[in-house]
Amino acid sequence: MLPLSLLKTAQSHPMLVELKNGETYNGHLVSCDTWMNINLREVICTSKDGDKFWRMNECYIRGSTIKYLRIPDEVIDLVKEDIQAKAKNRNQNQNQNRNNNNNQQNRGNKNNPNQHRPNPNRNRNNVNINKN
Amino acid sequence: MSGSLESFVGQSVMIISCDGRCFSGTLKGFDQLINLILVDTHERIYSTTAGMEQINLGLKIIRGDNVAVIGLIDEAVEQEIDYQKIRGEQLNPVVH
Repeated sequence: MLPLSLLKTAQSHPMLVELKNGETYNGHLVSCDTWMNINLREVICTSKDGDKFWRMNECYIRGSTIKYLRIPDEVIDLVKEDIQAKAKNRNQNQNQNRNNNNNQQNRGNKNNPNQHRPNPNRNRNNVNINKN
Repeated sequence: MSGSLESFVGQSVMIISCDGRCFSGTLKGFDQLINLILVDTHERIYSTTAGMEQINLGLKIIRGDNVAVIGLIDEAVEQEIDYQKIRGEQLNPVVH
């Protein structure tokens, strides 16, 4: 399991983010990207020594400033479900594509039964080239 | 390169972070940047005056930048250690 897929699954869940400077941010994850940049809602920021607090509606944190994230335990089970659902979808799509391809081939054979016959003009062209 | 970390997945590991803290937990996953997923994480705080104190932290993603050492815990040895008797100074942060 990849840390960033866990983070993506944790969207809309509460979490604690500690930054490299020691500040912690408690809030609900709105979105994240592949650099671990994150968007939090309903945030409480705590200073490094834990004696100052700030409340804000929304904040955006650059991924490179993060030290670690604490996530509710149940989120890890949601990732497994996500992965299984994706695998199921992929299989269904593959089967669909395979069926479509088969249909197309069948249709092609019906409409143009001579498609594998050699081109009767080919020899004529060769003759012309030799003449020139 | 990170192929050797693959063998740690699902096992008990000890992480020493760049700020000198110690975490134990089960490694659930990692990526190319050594970002880690740890479940059932405990922070171990050592002191010179009292036994080791463990704080339960649950599920954690540790950013690779902050990882100094990843060690595999030998469960047999782990069972034999009485952490309440162990005294030690805290580690210093990594100096870049």
